[in-house]
Amino acid sequence: MTSPTTVQNSQVQKKQRKYSPLKEFWKSFKKQKAALLASIFIGLLIVVAIIGPYIAPYDPFEPDYDALLEGPSASHLAGTDEYGRDIFSRLIVGAKISLMVSFSAVFLGLILGTILGLISGYFGGWIDKVIMRSCDVLFSFPDLLLAIAIVALLGPGINNVIIAVMIFSVPSFARLVRGATLNAKENVYVEAAQSMGASHVRVLWKHIFPETISELIIFVTMRIGTAILAASGLSFLGLGASPEMPEWGVMLSSGRDYLGTSSHVVIMPGIAIFLTVLAFNLIGDGLRDVLDPKIKNN
Amino acid sequence: MPNSILKVENLKKSFQVAGGLFQKSQHVNAVIDVSFEIEEGTTFSLVGESGCGKSTTGRLITRLIAPTSGSIVVDGKEIATAKQSELKHLRQTVQMIFQDPYASLNPRMKVKELVGEPLEIHTKLSKDEREKLVLEMLEVVGLNAEHADRYAHEFSGGQRQRLGIARALITKPKLIIADEPVSALDVSIQSQILNLLKQLQQEFKISYLFISHDLSVVEHISHYIGVMYLGTIVEIGRKETIFNDPKHPYTQALIASVPIADPTLRKKKKVLIGDIPNPKNPPSGCTFHTRCPFASDICKQAIPQMRKINEEQSVACHFVN
Amino acid sequence: MTEHVLQVSDLETSFMRDKTEIKILRGVNFSIRKGEILGLVGESGSGKSLTSLSIMQLFHGTTGKIVKGSIYFNGEDLTKMSESEIRKIRGKQMAMIFQEPMTSLNPVLKIGKQLMEAIEMHLKLPKSESKHHAIQMLKSVGIGRAEEIIHEYPHQLSGGMRQRVMIAMAMACHPNLLIADEPTTALDVTIQAQILELMKKLKEENETAILLITHDLGVVAEMCDKVVVMYAGQVVEEADVFELFASPKHPYTKGLIASVPKIGDKKEVLDSINGHVPSPQNMPKGCKFAPRCNQVMSICQEESPPTVEISATRQCSCWLYAKKDVEVNA
Repeated sequence: MTSPTTVQNSQVQKKQRKYSPLKEFWKSFKKQKAALLASIFIGLLIVVAIIGPYIAPYDPFEPDYDALLEGPSASHLAGTDEYGRDIFSRLIVGAKISLMVSFSAVFLGLILGTILGLISGYFGGWIDKVIMRSCDVLFSFPDLLLAIAIVALLGPGINNVIIAVMIFSVPSFARLVRGATLNAKENVYVEAAQSMGASHVRVLWKHIFPETISELIIFVTMRIGTAILAASGLSFLGLGASPEMPEWGVMLSSGRDYLGTSSHVVIMPGIAIFLTVLAFNLIGDGLRDVLDPKIKNN
Repeated sequence: MPNSILKVENLKKSFQVAGGLFQKSQHVNAVIDVSFEIEEGTTFSLVGESGCGKSTTGRLITRLIAPTSGSIVVDGKEIATAKQSELKHLRQTVQMIFQDPYASLNPRMKVKELVGEPLEIHTKLSKDEREKLVLEMLEVVGLNAEHADRYAHEFSGGQRQRLGIARALITKPKLIIADEPVSALDVSIQSQILNLLKQLQQEFKISYLFISHDLSVVEHISHYIGVMYLGTIVEIGRKETIFNDPKHPYTQALIASVPIADPTLRKKKKVLIGDIPNPKNPPSGCTFHTRCPFASDICKQAIPQMRKINEEQSVACHFVN
Repeated sequence: MTEHVLQVSDLETSFMRDKTEIKILRGVNFSIRKGEILGLVGESGSGKSLTSLSIMQLFHGTTGKIVKGSIYFNGEDLTKMSESEIRKIRGKQMAMIFQEPMTSLNPVLKIGKQLMEAIEMHLKLPKSESKHHAIQMLKSVGIGRAEEIIHEYPHQLSGGMRQRVMIAMAMACHPNLLIADEPTTALDVTIQAQILELMKKLKEENETAILLITHDLGVVAEMCDKVVVMYAGQVVEEADVFELFASPKHPYTKGLIASVPKIGDKKEVLDSINGHVPSPQNMPKGCKFAPRCNQVMSICQEESPPTVEISATRQCSCWLYAKKDVEVNA
């Protein structure tokens, strides 16, 4: 008999194409047509948000008293508002504000929520109880009400909007990550890592956190939609961005008065919000179909 | 015993099982008064059926769980009562191989990270130095350097178990606890892994605590054996002695129950009656008395002590003593 | 032949995955006589479990189907039957027991109800009689407190008891053929011995033919009259059990028997078979065992070997035993 312990190369070599998790993901994601379209839209939106101020056809702050409340036309793609400002340019610059606010709020909430969720799920015991009860308290308030309360406490302004949205995002992230952590903890390779002397930090970072990533990604995209709505809502109520800023919620608010006569002033930012939130939700759906292990195992 | 790498004395572990609405919480005695020693470079097997406590014993020794009482001395150091922070030395000296080759390797890590992880934890070697050692170790267990960049799921069960072995060996431990390392593998792969383990023992002078329910595998690989039933060791000694002349009725029944791969050796079996009792509700006295053909009154009342019968064998049984 | 309870010929079964057909069983042949225990031996990937599912035609919810071959049971070809016709046979003349009794017994129904369901459906007994019959069956499989057990749920019983209940359910209608798929693999050794003794006893009493599927050569040696060895979806050797262990012919069989540790053997190093079973999508050309065979010849990598009849009770699919007039380049 040939050497009993060596393994023939050919068996593993037969898998010619190199396996890469990214490639596998892309292959499946490509099939999600709606999500793909939505991603392109968001991609464009991000590009616009970044280079916006340079490509906007007009200065979003510059009034033009000769062209008040004009409907959409060749020169003003989305029309003008009550001060003659070009709505299209304002939408472009507003994109930057909306995306920036929602991304920061969600990102901060993600970091804080993830850390709390990991600790809660991994260590259990009293620390788990404390964290979860605190989250429960925050959960018991309706999102927007909580945000309003926080902004009322801190004062209006775009930064406080970010803080408010972040705070009401944390419990959801914490709970999500805690659930994923409880599951991941059961894996034998976690036990293996512990038995070889890995520190808690190492086990959490290398073996448990990666298990939560796919759920987090899905959740983050959905959450951004919620954050945009919340931020716009707060601004609409006058608690967020200051009135001259081209933030979409503010534009909605100031356009209210003209709903009967020049509805485009309200409809344009409304469409912008709607499309953006829809796009993020579609991306989230698509990601879930690709990444959610419960659906994958069919 | 000279040069013992592991000495376990009166080890005990009981779990609290939460009660229901109408039930108080119960104690389950998973491991009751277990004692044994392992010499350097030898294999000691714990063999038994469900609920015997062999896997729990393995995890107590690596301190994945803490013992209720008793002593565990590894390489001269008492670790039963040590705090988690004091256990770094233990984790380098004792490594574990798991039963399920599919579940014990993180599917998101490449082979070189997987096998190199113990080095990352315990040494200050650079990434390149670690990789070099990983590649060497892959060769030792019969794999190739080019496997280092792949993911675990690209390999077969036997190859994955080799990866688990490479990972366990890389910090040059003195004792490896192998918890059913071949039970999930096909027979023809099983023999490859058993041969590998033996070869590695001779080359590196490693001791094994081999945990298994498969007597044929245990007979092949062990030097010493401990037979466990419902949390206690009922018979312990040299492999040859125990297989040639088992004294405890349970050991006799166990050996007789194993189907032999030779039809000419078919015999009318004296089959043990009854089921294995639930560890939550063990019988009184000697826990084996409910199924023992030789049970008498004393067996129901008193727990038998472990007594040395000869140099190579000790038994805990009223009938034998 | 009328004395054969089951005759499987050229059975080929495939699955569909992503619109491609993957063939798992590639021409399986064997037969079982009345009162005979046939052992179907193989490792993972051999196709032995799929063979039993194919015989019972249990493909619901999967994309599996029989693409070729015949399965004659008591003289009728099962592959040509409709689902309703097969359902009349399943559970009555042909019964199956599985490896994991916990997943094949309904966890929310009491044991008595499950047993009686099978009895009422197939034997058409009225409720009063079926309960009595159920208790008798439980007693016949060695469950002493049968009257109590019929009121219990599966999770209240131990593994060995559940397996006995499964056997009782399978035997309740006195089937001609019992298919046992790894019936003792999940059980402890001492319980396994009990169940194997039970199966032998029931076979004697009822003259049931048993198709025993297992990877454990020890169980095969203890229980079987005849053995069929499978590898990669094909039968590689068929022999009387004593002949098989005394002088295995196929290199895979030889390797398998040599790699099993036996109590009492003084081998230092176990023989092993290099490499591993090829996946169904990556089957090598020619003989499927060729990449791992230590007696491989060049023809083995070109063409699949024919099934050679070595004796009345012995068949082997290997070029080593093919007729001399075939051009074989060593």
